[in-house]
Amino acid sequence: MAAKGMNLCNVCCLLLYVISAVLAGRDFYQILGVTKSASIRDIKKAYRKLALQLHPDRNQDDPKAQDKFADLGAAYEVLSDEEKRKQYDAYGEDGLKEGHHGSHNDIFSSFFGDFGFMFGGNRQQQDRNIPRGNDIILDLEVTLEEVYSGNFVEVVRNKPIAREAPGKRKCNCRQEMRTTQLGPGRFQMTQEMVCDECPNVKLVNEERTLEVEIEQGVRDEMEYPFIGEGEPHIDGEPGDLRFRIKVLKHPVFERRGDDLYTNVTISLVEALVGFKMEIVHLDGHKVHIERDKVTKPGARMWKKGEGLPNFDNINIRGSLIITFDVEFPQTQLDEQQKEGIRSLLKQGSVQKVYNGLQGY
Amino acid sequence: MGRFNCAGLTCPLSTIILLFSWIFGPSLGSELSFVTCGSVIKLLNIKHNVRLHSHDVRYGSGSGQQSVTGVTAVEDSNSYWSIRGTRDTWCHRGTPIQCGQEIRLTHVNTGRNLHSHFFASPLSSNQEVSAFGDEGEGDHLDEWTVQCGGSVWKREEAVRFRHKATDALLSVTGEQYGRPIHGQREVHAMASPSQHSLWKAMEGIFMKPSENPAGSRDYTHLHTEF
Repeated sequence: MAAKGMNLCNVCCLLLYVISAVLAGRDFYQILGVTKSASIRDIKKAYRKLALQLHPDRNQDDPKAQDKFADLGAAYEVLSDEEKRKQYDAYGEDGLKEGHHGSHNDIFSSFFGDFGFMFGGNRQQQDRNIPRGNDIILDLEVTLEEVYSGNFVEVVRNKPIAREAPGKRKCNCRQEMRTTQLGPGRFQMTQEMVCDECPNVKLVNEERTLEVEIEQGVRDEMEYPFIGEGEPHIDGEPGDLRFRIKVLKHPVFERRGDDLYTNVTISLVEALVGFKMEIVHLDGHKVHIERDKVTKPGARMWKKGEGLPNFDNINIRGSLIITFDVEFPQTQLDEQQKEGIRSLLKQGSVQKVYNGLQGY
Repeated sequence: MGRFNCAGLTCPLSTIILLFSWIFGPSLGSELSFVTCGSVIKLLNIKHNVRLHSHDVRYGSGSGQQSVTGVTAVEDSNSYWSIRGTRDTWCHRGTPIQCGQEIRLTHVNTGRNLHSHFFASPLSSNQEVSAFGDEGEGDHLDEWTVQCGGSVWKREEAVRFRHKATDALLSVTGEQYGRPIHGQREVHAMASPSQHSLWKAMEGIFMKPSENPAGSRDYTHLHTEF
């Protein structure tokens, strides 16, 4: 049974903590799930992942979904801006000079497009009669370094947007058959162009920044869609913009699935007596290789866990497979050196003749 | 909006900042003011107000290759061209295009490159401009030089495209086709510069220069036997 003084102390402490927590505002780092030293890329990555999870359309049973989502938007808005982040780090949420300007919708759509939150149904479930602008499919070239570590590519999308204009315009024009009576029992059918009246629009070019994520382990031909960012349609909806990943060839590493292949040329001496070396990997870290036995040309070494992260589970990595080839000395040997080598290596003459091309 | 009191030094500073944002805010250069490698854009011929366009329709004369035209419509996904380096000079995604740089313009929907050669164009008998190649790879006649004023190709700027092999400039002089591409203008190449050969980058998707992830190195010193 704690002493009465202790209880009071506890209550005071709790009260003080609650007050300071309330006064200090929200912990944006915790909302995004990143450390205080997180890079801008980490922050974007965290936002993108959480935005998909926390969107209210996806959490219709959760009454707090709107608030959680709003918190996420506020956290990203502050931490992704260098100035605001500095102010927040020094003074907390209350220390921020102005209220939040950008609506969360703007932030969300820079990652996913205008109608990005179509989680439940696909676009096909929409009324098929609404005309739609064309989709734009764009090849995005990425380096193997980006596939290994991930990256965000910012692009500026400039496109025409329909804005209200004064007056009316004709829309949904179609041919219709009209029947007119010429006399008793005589009719004539004519084709007529019939249009509806719609509010007038004009197309104005506007632009905004989109954030395309190159996720770790991404594979060739994978697509990242931005809903509504394609070609506009004056009478209907815009099409989509899709980034199709094209992984570029790398001068050192070759990708096969999640595994990486590379080749190393060693000298004849190293092949015979052994060697130590380091290979610089795609993110700069060094892979240590050591041999103390004879290394034959064509020999392979497997380094588990040094391949690419798997796209579906980045904790699983492929392997790095190193194939060695041997460079022979350029200089010719004199008689004395030849004798020396014969006695040193103690290998008899072999001279086996066989068909090497059919695998015998 | 009520009056706001400003004290001492902060007042002129904030008015200067306000002035700057008013000047630079609405201009389209606010995010990215130059054209970069990997960008996919629509090119507008300034004099005739048509956009460079291609489609799966071949010329009925000349080379018989895929035709390149100018269209008046603003929304047409067949007017998108990808800015890429040549086969000899690699161009990194996001790097600004220099004035005088050699590039290829690849038609996004068909994968063919803007191309020219010594064939006569069908309507005006100037030099024919076509779309050639497969999946972005054609030949050396796909190379064009960007001619502009400063050091890089600014989005706001009117530029010219000079065909590297024939020295002719991409132009439109207003001749119109009939069926099946009614109303589309002829695009051809002409020897001398004029108002007809000025183009400007319009709608599109512009790649911003991006920070390379840690560890990216320059490998140009390695094997040269390939």
